[in-house]
Amino acid sequence: MSAPTTTSTVLAASGVTMQFGGLRALNDVSFSLNEGEIIGLIGPNGAGKTTLFNCLTGLYTPTSGTVSFRGEPLPGDPALVTETGVARTFQNIRLFPSMTAEENVLVGRHVRMKQSPLSSLLHGPGFRRSEREARERAAELLEFVGLRRVTDELARNLPYGDQRRLEIARALATEPSVLLLDEPTAGMNAAETENTRQLILKIRETGISVVVIEHDTKFIFTLCDRVLVLVQGELLVEGTPDEVRGDPRVVEAYLGAPPEQVEAQIHEAQEAEEAADHGAPGEKQLGGSS
Amino acid sequence: MTATTEKKPPAHAAPRPKGIAALKPHTTTLMVVGGVLTLLGSFLPWATFVLNKGPYPAQATLQNFTAPLASSGFRLHLVLFGIAAIVVALVKRIPARHRIARALGYGTIAVSVINGLWITVEGGGLGAITASEGSVAFGAIVALIGGIVLALASRVGDLEPVPEIGWKFNRWVEWLILLVVIVLLLLLVAAVLTSGGFGATATYAGAVFLSFLAALGGFLGALHAAGLLGWVNALFDRHRGYAVILLLVAALCLPLTSAGTEYWMTVATNIGVYAATAIGLNIVVGLAGLLDLGYVAFLGIGAFVAANLSGAAASAVGIHLPFPLVMVIAAVIAGIFGAIVGSPTLRVRGDYLAIVTLAFGEIFVRSAQNNIGGLTGGSNAIPGIPPVEAFGIGFDQALRIGPVSLPRGVLYYFLIVLLVAFVMAVFANLKYSRLGRAWIAIREDEDAARAMGIRTGPVKILAFLIGAMLAGLAGAIFAHKTATVSYESFRFLESVTLLAAVVLGGMGTIPGAVLGASILFILPEKLREFADYRLLLFGIALVLIMRYRPQGLVPDAHRRAELVEEPEPIDTGGDKPTTREAVAP
Repeated sequence: MSAPTTTSTVLAASGVTMQFGGLRALNDVSFSLNEGEIIGLIGPNGAGKTTLFNCLTGLYTPTSGTVSFRGEPLPGDPALVTETGVARTFQNIRLFPSMTAEENVLVGRHVRMKQSPLSSLLHGPGFRRSEREARERAAELLEFVGLRRVTDELARNLPYGDQRRLEIARALATEPSVLLLDEPTAGMNAAETENTRQLILKIRETGISVVVIEHDTKFIFTLCDRVLVLVQGELLVEGTPDEVRGDPRVVEAYLGAPPEQVEAQIHEAQEAEEAADHGAPGEKQLGGSS
Repeated sequence: MTATTEKKPPAHAAPRPKGIAALKPHTTTLMVVGGVLTLLGSFLPWATFVLNKGPYPAQATLQNFTAPLASSGFRLHLVLFGIAAIVVALVKRIPARHRIARALGYGTIAVSVINGLWITVEGGGLGAITASEGSVAFGAIVALIGGIVLALASRVGDLEPVPEIGWKFNRWVEWLILLVVIVLLLLLVAAVLTSGGFGATATYAGAVFLSFLAALGGFLGALHAAGLLGWVNALFDRHRGYAVILLLVAALCLPLTSAGTEYWMTVATNIGVYAATAIGLNIVVGLAGLLDLGYVAFLGIGAFVAANLSGAAASAVGIHLPFPLVMVIAAVIAGIFGAIVGSPTLRVRGDYLAIVTLAFGEIFVRSAQNNIGGLTGGSNAIPGIPPVEAFGIGFDQALRIGPVSLPRGVLYYFLIVLLVAFVMAVFANLKYSRLGRAWIAIREDEDAARAMGIRTGPVKILAFLIGAMLAGLAGAIFAHKTATVSYESFRFLESVTLLAAVVLGGMGTIPGAVLGASILFILPEKLREFADYRLLLFGIALVLIMRYRPQGLVPDAHRRAELVEEPEPIDTGGDKPTTREAVAP
């Protein structure tokens, strides 16, 4: 479980443990994210993936362990974490629904804009310059994620896939070095998923390191440089997509049995069903890694 | 008048529609019938006998009914509604005819119900509006039926979307149109303010005022349905700077209209005080989404600070500072208290915050009642606050400029107009800034706002601080205008009314807060006979607003977008796939 610690480590967690009462959601999780790297974080539901994100972004304070950004410990406040350069999206879309797409992105610019309350009050030349720059940047970002055409649409009226993209644009507006994406393709069809994959690769090209939580293993294995497998709060396996895919522990804990075995199981189950004339093919769910 | 029925469904079509839907081919007839009935109602007497408090206004009593065609007051409104309905029914080129008819119908219903009920209650029974001792007066009932038929016609007909009028003219023409609109608005405001009159002679002030409001509602509804309000709104947007200046000038011209008496100036000044306070509250509630149930305390703090620093004999401090300085100090002290009250927002949210602010409001009232530190005068209040003086003129004096003489209190009115304008500018500028967006983001989703780098604590406290400062400014003027500051002006009821004003008018908008404050603070002035039922009426009004128009009377542009029954198609068209592909390299 030793992470390659080079000088280019952007984000590192060491020994992060998160205890909620009697429940240990994360147990001694350590990993590091290198400059320009895309890491996939997979694991069954309830494995602690989102909890890890919350620990990384200051929403939770880990019971023990530290999170550091370029060698410095990250502050324990989401707003300061974002200011430092770690931005995130949410598993359940959390846009500002009554704001337009542009305004959502402008909120993301908050930490990078300089406007004192007084200049906000007077709308002086400095204020107008900073507003104009922010709007230009917002337009670029909307263009970047392919949402320029809905600049003035309310976020709540956007189709689901566009909302996910808008969340990414909003996070990018904070000028992060690290982007944490929590299930960016949840509920998307194959074409949309592919678009998101291309978008994340494009984000990486701009020099941003990315951590992605996703259940879609095909998506993760074709996108990521490295994959972490989290099971019941523990980092089970870490490695390249090929290593992870071939690791029997992962297959057992997360992916279920290999395809031919699953098919055989399904077959058996069906036969058993026919024989018994009732009963549910419960084993089928073993292969349900979507 | 030929009943020009619309195309009949083919004979072999589905079985005849049942209920009111069966009337569908006859909507034009219905509209004409409704219009004629409305007209007829306005030409009939409404009250069979002279009521106890004197004859009903608008010559509606049978005995005064000498000239049936010379209508005035609410009967004149109904004449206009009836004619409009018939015109709309017959001229098919008018867009959104059914929508206009609906507005006219609702207006007619409201006017007939208000006046009919009033006459019934004052006359002691239904006899007052039907038949009594051989005399008949069916005006109310006929007009009511007319209104219902109109509403029915619009219900069975297809309700068209509000048309968008795209007329564009030369800039000067558009400026001229705006000027006319704003002059009309000024006259309208003066008419609403003075409708029903005041004092002992104005026996039916409440009825006349309510009826006028209802008629105005129907009239504006019809204009909106025809797309004209939307068009004027677009004109305002195109010439914003010019329109704002015109509005300010128009507000300053109010004393020149029929409202130019001392009484109405006092009413208008009080409305201005509460409008400014409501806009301040709108920052806290409408933008930042923090429910504040004790907000009027900041108005009170501003008023008491001003009372103490202006040389009132009863004040404990006993110094007399110049008024501008007093205003600044009042604002700063109110702001400090605002920040203190806002500090719990770091820990509590939503309902819990509302309870904390409610408690703060109570603490303020109880402290003021007990004359805390000798600063509030307790139940004796602080009387004798000297008027503001500038250039040797006391602000409580009448003013004569050349041939124009202005009533007493007009200078305070000017002062409050300038303050309201200032508060509006503060609100508008902050709303469209980094800070304003941060407030709205917190209102929408506080956790997401924090994750976007907004330090929610200071930002929320800033909302309380700025809101409280604006209320403090209003309080300073309020203290000088009323000359006596008592804790009784700042009770929970006032906080609730302010909040109701914001919700009623529309959260997060300036015209909404001003309109809400105007309606809620002018109603008690007009409906003195209902003083005991004030809260009940507010409650009913708010329930109705929440049920039928949750976004408020003048909704935020964003919330207005939600109103559109069919969301506008996003401009995707055929280019959607290409945009998608553009993302892929």
